[in-house]
Amino acid sequence: MNLSKLQRPQPTLPSRPPGRRFPVWSWVWYILGTLYFILPLYATLNFSLRMERDVIGLKAYIRAFEDPNFLQTFLFSNVLAVATIIASIVLIVPTAYWIRLRLPEARRITEFITLLPFVIPAIILVFGLIRIYSTPITVPFTGIELFRPLTNTHAGTNILIVAGYMVLAMPYMYRSIDTGMRTVDVRTLTEAAQSLGASWFTIITRIILPNIRASLLSGALLTFAIVVGEVILASFLGVDAFGPYLFLLGQHRAYEPAALSFVTFLLTWMAMGIIQLLTGGQGQTAGAH
Amino acid sequence: MAQTSILRTKVLSPASDWKKWLGVIPFFLFATLFLILPSLRLFIGSFTDSAGQFTFANILQLFTEDSILMAYWLSIRISAVTAIGGGIFGFLLAYAVTVGGLPKPLRSILITFSGVASNFAGVPLAFAFIATLGRTGFITALLKNVFGINLYQTGFNLYSFAGLSLTYMYFQFPLMVLIMAPALDGLKREWREAAENLGASSWQYWLQIAMPVLLPSILGTMILLFGNAFGAYATAYALTGGSLPIVTIQIGAQIRGDVLHNPGLGYAMAMGMVVIMAISLAGYSWLQKVSERWLR
Amino acid sequence: MHTKKFVFEMLALLVIMSMALTSCAPATEAPVATAAPATEMPATEAPATEMPATEAPATEAPATEAPVGEIDPALIEAAQAEGTLTTIALPPDWCNYGEVIETFKSKYGLEVNELNPDAGSGDEVEAIKANKDNKGPQAPDVIDVGFAFGPSSQAEGLLMPYKVSTWDTIPDDAKDPEGYWYGDYYGVLSFLVNTDVQPDVPQDWTDLLDPKYNGQVALSGDPRTSNQAIQSVFAAALANGGSLDDAQPGLDFFADLNAAGNLVPLIANNGLVATGETPVRITWDYNALSAIDSFEGNPKAEVVIPASGRFGGVYVQAISAYAPHPNAAKLWMEFLYSDEGQLLWMKGYCHPIREADLRERGVIPEDLLAKLPDVSGAVFPTVEQLDAAKVLITENWDAVVGADVQAAP
Repeated sequence: MNLSKLQRPQPTLPSRPPGRRFPVWSWVWYILGTLYFILPLYATLNFSLRMERDVIGLKAYIRAFEDPNFLQTFLFSNVLAVATIIASIVLIVPTAYWIRLRLPEARRITEFITLLPFVIPAIILVFGLIRIYSTPITVPFTGIELFRPLTNTHAGTNILIVAGYMVLAMPYMYRSIDTGMRTVDVRTLTEAAQSLGASWFTIITRIILPNIRASLLSGALLTFAIVVGEVILASFLGVDAFGPYLFLLGQHRAYEPAALSFVTFLLTWMAMGIIQLLTGGQGQTAGAH
Repeated sequence: MAQTSILRTKVLSPASDWKKWLGVIPFFLFATLFLILPSLRLFIGSFTDSAGQFTFANILQLFTEDSILMAYWLSIRISAVTAIGGGIFGFLLAYAVTVGGLPKPLRSILITFSGVASNFAGVPLAFAFIATLGRTGFITALLKNVFGINLYQTGFNLYSFAGLSLTYMYFQFPLMVLIMAPALDGLKREWREAAENLGASSWQYWLQIAMPVLLPSILGTMILLFGNAFGAYATAYALTGGSLPIVTIQIGAQIRGDVLHNPGLGYAMAMGMVVIMAISLAGYSWLQKVSERWLR
Repeated sequence: MHTKKFVFEMLALLVIMSMALTSCAPATEAPVATAAPATEMPATEAPATEMPATEAPATEAPATEAPVGEIDPALIEAAQAEGTLTTIALPPDWCNYGEVIETFKSKYGLEVNELNPDAGSGDEVEAIKANKDNKGPQAPDVIDVGFAFGPSSQAEGLLMPYKVSTWDTIPDDAKDPEGYWYGDYYGVLSFLVNTDVQPDVPQDWTDLLDPKYNGQVALSGDPRTSNQAIQSVFAAALANGGSLDDAQPGLDFFADLNAAGNLVPLIANNGLVATGETPVRITWDYNALSAIDSFEGNPKAEVVIPASGRFGGVYVQAISAYAPHPNAAKLWMEFLYSDEGQLLWMKGYCHPIREADLRERGVIPEDLLAKLPDVSGAVFPTVEQLDAAKVLITENWDAVVGADVQAAP
């Protein structure tokens, strides 16, 4: 048998492996998916354009945008989202890496913890946070106050809510990052890097992070959506975020909420596009070839 | 720097065992400060009755009251259905835009859209589906006017288990897509080519090479989907007005309603959810072990 | 890689800068409150001792009479020193709270920190409990809750007593004698009908059973948790042979409604009324009337107060015992119970609790009077009756009315 074919690297074709016909099924799934996602959005849009009787018009949108709070709260939520994403990555990437590499025993308990936010109602979380962090931290047995309570200042409350958001995003972030690391074979990469003399910090920032870029992006997008749409934490902590604003409108007006939810969808989608551009898009396979 | 690999270090010095746990301290500290401690009230409250006295009655009620058991079963069913259904179709979508050979821009569109859609839940989502498939929804109207099909007479009803599952998929599919796409990227093209060169059919490739590699990720994501649906509240409430008594709505009724109920029972039910989550996790771990054996 | 690092650094810088900018002003801590005594100005009219009469007496008294009670300037000063009021669960479209809050802000120069405008009564009480030690902006100063929550919160020690200067003109059965809680406004349950979709407007509860309303009638909440929905069931009882002591016929009525296929298992809101998915919505008359305003003719809609079974629901105000800004809270109450505050609520179609007094003195503008529907004959349950009905309805809704849970496909 002529082995030379196997030994010489095959020329790689742009997108289709050799011998594959037109990806019919891929298109089928994609089109079905698109239909499923687009139709409800279209229904919302359709309704929102009908505020004026018998007229397809933008009245609902104009009304919704007249309120300066819309943009203000949206931008503020964006900032909170970015803070949450960065803090989550800083916390979870080293943890997931460490567990994967040196501490598989901690896997189960960590996964369990990251799934807890699903079953603990947000309202319990927020009241718990308020109870704990509204009392000053004092040296035990004396009255000496070390720190003012977080809830008393805007900065403190912002920190508190970012921590709360990190908790809410934890399941998604962790699962994303863990999947990414599993795909990439961190063990080999680490050994290779260490044999070249890299420090832990270098390994994580210059080798692991770039390789799980696609997963980081997924996690970031999920976190972003969660933070911008979140209502309960923000409204009870008294933070001027976008979620409460949107929710409030939905209760009493008829057309403006549909307009706002459609616009929010578009704006968040755009923001995600920007995030994707900034992080260099999703790479193809990374890791040792 | 010393050339010792990590593996060697691990084997040679068991005395540094406890030091391993240092690496996860930041995470556990964070979780304790901002998740466990605030939720302690949940644990304590489930043993408290409305008068503030210690009691086992709430926990007991979980096992004896029919309506509560049914609520749990309903929640588990809908979470399982949407986890599996969402998992399968989400996987197919992720496949389509990664290995499946669609043009690159379609992937970007799907991924960013999935980011938004994954959190599109609650009243806006319910409203969107009502406006589409409700009695006066535009698809319902379309089917009636153009195709002569009266959707609601065929027995379909958006305000039902089926309708709610369909609505849940809107955030389940994207979640699966977002997490599986990077995993599918890990399927090296060389494997496929090598398999084909050795004469493997598509089917064999998937069964013996791709699936074993992907299965742990797929399972892990499905448990995420399960948890996602299990904890969902706003969408169900907005769509079915509480007529589908899933556990989260029951809990909401006990601790948030306009009327005074028994918060202790609500907390006990939430603890029940935590236990179910733990059991699901155990099930998933077992499945994982099995699948990892397959990988070898 | 360099670009990415740079971008991350920029983002981090942006985040830090925003945090720094938004945290310039720490919340002002409440100074020791110089307790301004509640001034009880003698009422100049005989106080109404029953629930406000809904027939408007002929206005003979001139409209320029001085308002009952005056607000102590020391209270105003103390409140201004505190600088902020924290409210909770006050949506702007509910009883015109939007204008009420804006007027309060501009009149006294205080900031108003509005927490969770869509909280339920249970959330408001929970918020007080959770914030007992918190002097920050998350702690509500004042609450506006369902009638039954007044006595129960008082029993839990969560309230601070205060009698506004117009105290005597508030009907006795709508307030706690010691001043812990006091009725603020009431409404009557009504039908909001989208007349584009359903031109045949039902006039009474029994009309709803007609086949032409198949799949069209909806409640505004879940009858197991929502005040509005529970009282809707209670109201139906009145029209169906029941009474304020017997809410069972209400459950039977809704069982019939559901069996006939007329009841839609959705929680109706104005969006759903507008799309026609729930063209007949059972809700408080003030919500229905403000909905019609917001529709602006698209769709056309009408409000009907049912011919029988007119059920009045009262909400109550109270000050939190742990309020970080007690003087601001008291000033808020004074404002709400002044003629100005009461009339602003009326503008939102709510019947203010001092309505009888206002009518007698003839201070209500004609055009405002004309907008209010005729709610004569509305009955108001006592707290005991409300509690009994609530227990009956929440526990039996599933069994009697029958939640239709479809099996998995």
